Amino acid sequence: MNKKAKMTTWEKNQLFWGWLFIIPTMAGLIILNLYPIASTIYQSFCKTGDFGKGNVFVGLENYAQMFGDSVVWQSLWNTFKYAIIEVPFSICIALVLAVLLNRKMKGRSAYRAIFFLPMIAAPAAVAMVWRWLYNSQFGLLNNAFGLHVEWISNPKIAWICVGVIGVWSILGYNIVLFLSGLQEIPHDYYEAADIDGASGIQAFFNITVPLLSPTIFFVLITRVIGALQVFDLIYMVMETSNAALPKTQSIVYLFYQQSFDYGNKGYGSAIVMLLLAVILVITVFQMIGQKKWVHYE
Amino acid sequence: MMRKKLVSVLLTAAMCVSLTACGGGGGSSSSGDSGDSGSSGGGSSSDALQVVIWDNYQQPGIQEICDLFTEETGIKAKVEVKDWDSYWTLLEAGASGGDMPDVFWMHSNNSQIYMNNDMLLNLDEYIEKSDVINMDNYMPEVTELYTLNDSVYAIPKDYDTIALWYNKKMFDDEGLDYPDSSWTWDDFYDAAKKLTHDGQYGFAMNTTNEQDSYYNMIYSMGGTILTDDKKSGYDDPNTLKAMDFVGKVLKDCCPSATTMAETMADALIQSGTVAMVTQGSWMVSGFKENDIMTENCDVAILPYDKETGVRASICNGLGWAAPANTDRADDSWALIEWFGSEEMQKKQAELGVTMSAFEGTSEAWVNCTDTFNLQPYLDITEESKDEGVTNELILRPYTYNSTRWTEQAKVDLVPAWNDPSKMEETCKQFAKTMNDLIASESN
Amino acid sequence: MEARRKFTTVLIHVILVIFSIIMMVPFLWMILTSFKSVTEATQVNPFVIFPSVWKTDAFSTVWNNMNFLLLYKNTLLLIFWRVVCAVLTATLAGYAFGRLEFKGKNVMFSLVLFQMMIPAQIFIIPQYLMVSGMGMTNTIFALVFPGMVTAFGTFLLKQAYMGLPASLEEAARLDGCNIFQTFLHIMSPLTRSSMVALGIFTAVFAYKDLMWPLVVNSSSTKMPLSAALATMQGQYTSNYPQLMAASLIACVPMIVLYLIFQKQFIEGIATSGGKL
Repeated sequence: MNKKAKMTTWEKNQLFWGWLFIIPTMAGLIILNLYPIASTIYQSFCKTGDFGKGNVFVGLENYAQMFGDSVVWQSLWNTFKYAIIEVPFSICIALVLAVLLNRKMKGRSAYRAIFFLPMIAAPAAVAMVWRWLYNSQFGLLNNAFGLHVEWISNPKIAWICVGVIGVWSILGYNIVLFLSGLQEIPHDYYEAADIDGASGIQAFFNITVPLLSPTIFFVLITRVIGALQVFDLIYMVMETSNAALPKTQSIVYLFYQQSFDYGNKGYGSAIVMLLLAVILVITVFQMIGQKKWVHYE
Repeated sequence: MMRKKLVSVLLTAAMCVSLTACGGGGGSSSSGDSGDSGSSGGGSSSDALQVVIWDNYQQPGIQEICDLFTEETGIKAKVEVKDWDSYWTLLEAGASGGDMPDVFWMHSNNSQIYMNNDMLLNLDEYIEKSDVINMDNYMPEVTELYTLNDSVYAIPKDYDTIALWYNKKMFDDEGLDYPDSSWTWDDFYDAAKKLTHDGQYGFAMNTTNEQDSYYNMIYSMGGTILTDDKKSGYDDPNTLKAMDFVGKVLKDCCPSATTMAETMADALIQSGTVAMVTQGSWMVSGFKENDIMTENCDVAILPYDKETGVRASICNGLGWAAPANTDRADDSWALIEWFGSEEMQKKQAELGVTMSAFEGTSEAWVNCTDTFNLQPYLDITEESKDEGVTNELILRPYTYNSTRWTEQAKVDLVPAWNDPSKMEETCKQFAKTMNDLIASESN
Repeated sequence: MEARRKFTTVLIHVILVIFSIIMMVPFLWMILTSFKSVTEATQVNPFVIFPSVWKTDAFSTVWNNMNFLLLYKNTLLLIFWRVVCAVLTATLAGYAFGRLEFKGKNVMFSLVLFQMMIPAQIFIIPQYLMVSGMGMTNTIFALVFPGMVTAFGTFLLKQAYMGLPASLEEAARLDGCNIFQTFLHIMSPLTRSSMVALGIFTAVFAYKDLMWPLVVNSSSTKMPLSAALATMQGQYTSNYPQLMAASLIACVPMIVLYLIFQKQFIEGIATSGGKL
């Protein structure tokens, strides 16, 4: 308290205006987000009563049950599988397309618009049309190519097919980010490479990728978090009776099923805590790992 | 120091919010309604009763009955449809938060847990005062579903039975006789097998809708889903025998389980790819709209089992309920009373919405269409005319929290649907799970 | 050399066209299906790609069954209020975190970052209980509620303010401006592009938000498009022409908006990146 008295007017001013400016946001975050997190953490130690009444504190019981529940581990693994499809493919394809688009050419904005379209389609519309394309009986894919593949019901391939929808949906977003990153690479680098006789592919790996690495890193971090939280897509594409569901459902899906369908909010909360821990660990590792490959100017 | 302060700020905030959240359950719901109507800016529907149902096909008929109610009383009522899953998620969230629709459907799967937690308006007083409602008029089976400790919590709306739909054209092409009351499940199997070739199938089954599919076969063959002492019947020898039959049908006469998971049985018969499905009476209003159904399809009574001589149909009925904590109890009751009145129950049947729970109104429903012969849905409720055959109406089995194990069955039985050779072990395994779930029901 | 360059250009176009077709197939199939009859859509022998008669029945049915004008209105109001609130609060907080030094700043900012890592689904029930406790379910306020503040936007604006030169602020101080005046007249106009970016971002994700509207606004007259479409999927499970027609009607306004604002849309997102 004594220290505060010695503050200069300027410091006092900063303290006053600083807190005034952040109060709306912090109040909102505390009420809207931090309180729910706290209550979820608390819930994860409870057995839930009907209609949220009469919660009983059970300590670590939910966690103990979770660690012995093979469904949870399978779902965690499914979530990783989804991320392994979505993140690398959407980044690599987007990178190539962005490089191809990064020049003055006819139809550039048309291409850009087409690649971006899936981003602005309602999620339910995306799920519906893909289910319809994949439908083993009436779908376009099977009928156009004369196949009999059960795209989203065969446990062996369903996770790939769901991943494909994820890649399709997110591609435009990555392309746009990469395009903006590419604009910032000075053109003389490429001219110099051209004079040295480097091929386009060499220039891509020796100039584009290193100089774009901060953008790539940003996309990677946000997409990994996004992919690990996948829910809407699986919820809307996979029926409960779908035989591939156990091999496809994500960890957030499992949380939703436990909390909302089974009314078991305590167990659902424990599951979501597991996901939170996983995301934290992975993000921290990515932050450490970036020093090895991300080049800041 | 900072950290301690932060923790205390967080705790205070959390407590404030949780207090308001709990308070919302009781006291503040009245302010809720005024806030709602205020914010909708004087829109004409702001004071309409919110009626929520889950069957899209019934919406026009129910809305028509509501409109008549508005004409009569001046109270507006707007019918909204949710799909089954969202319906129960939202109703539960509403019940936890103290904000439920004004009038809604109740189902035997969930009625116990809602009644036991005092979530539904107790209708005893209203019934006593009413000169329109007399509980003796309704099918006692349906009334029983919504009665707890002699108190009534919902007025019966309808009841439903199951029958066999078949595609006449496909039977003609094969030179087979149409299904009739003389059919046993073996006759059914033989016909279905003959009808299965070249991309067409004899039968299709919604594995996620146990009520209109395998439950009927189980009870016909002497099995059970739930024993009298509330234990799972999935490991009962007769149940296993019936499920073995189900597996045989799935293997030889049905599209692959994956196909049926993607495309429901009702869509398959409507597209003309399968010859037979078992469907509930609530599907009629939907089937009336489809060309293939109206041109080619008709209805027969369910087959019976040769050994037991039993023909069984699962029966269920919905009820009209209102929330316990509401400030519009009188209006809600007025509408429920209207739905339950003899006249409107008859109207519901005439419009072809569903069979009504009010006894003696079923004929009107059978006559609601000339396109299909709906008599089989009624015949099963009466004594059998076939020698040595008994018709049994089985009330859909339920426990305190039936949703928990019926939902689990949808997930756990999937391996058996996909590979019928695993039927026995899957059922036995699920019987254990189901027993555990019933044992853990908090009551 | 010239021939080689020409060849490269053609090759690039070929690759881009192939990918464009792949990206477009779902949309094209949506359009084709929506003009078919149910029988045609579920016909396998022979399989029908183009409808024999282009029927608009599905469109008229869903247009009559769902009050799309109301849904558009709800969606636009949702987007409008979320954008206004998010930009306003994030600009203020971003400035404080980016340019001012005060006690408690770092702790508060780490809370902001922490929030970004939590899956949004865990907020649904507690937030729902708050809204229903206030008696505000089935209102536009309820739709806007969770998006009134934004951790992501705060982070974004903080980065934008940090990128500005300190000399501007010092000059303003010497001219006798207080902190608020400096913020309002000197600094905030310079971050306009980031504000636009945040606005566009907020708009796209408000439009795509699904679970929250589904839970909090169960009344069909108060839903936004995405939620109404999702409930419809449950209701008309097998009528694919109608499902596709509704999807199309729901997507059209965003696509039109996109075409109008194409430049800002893409550049807005390009400068901000962000969390999905």
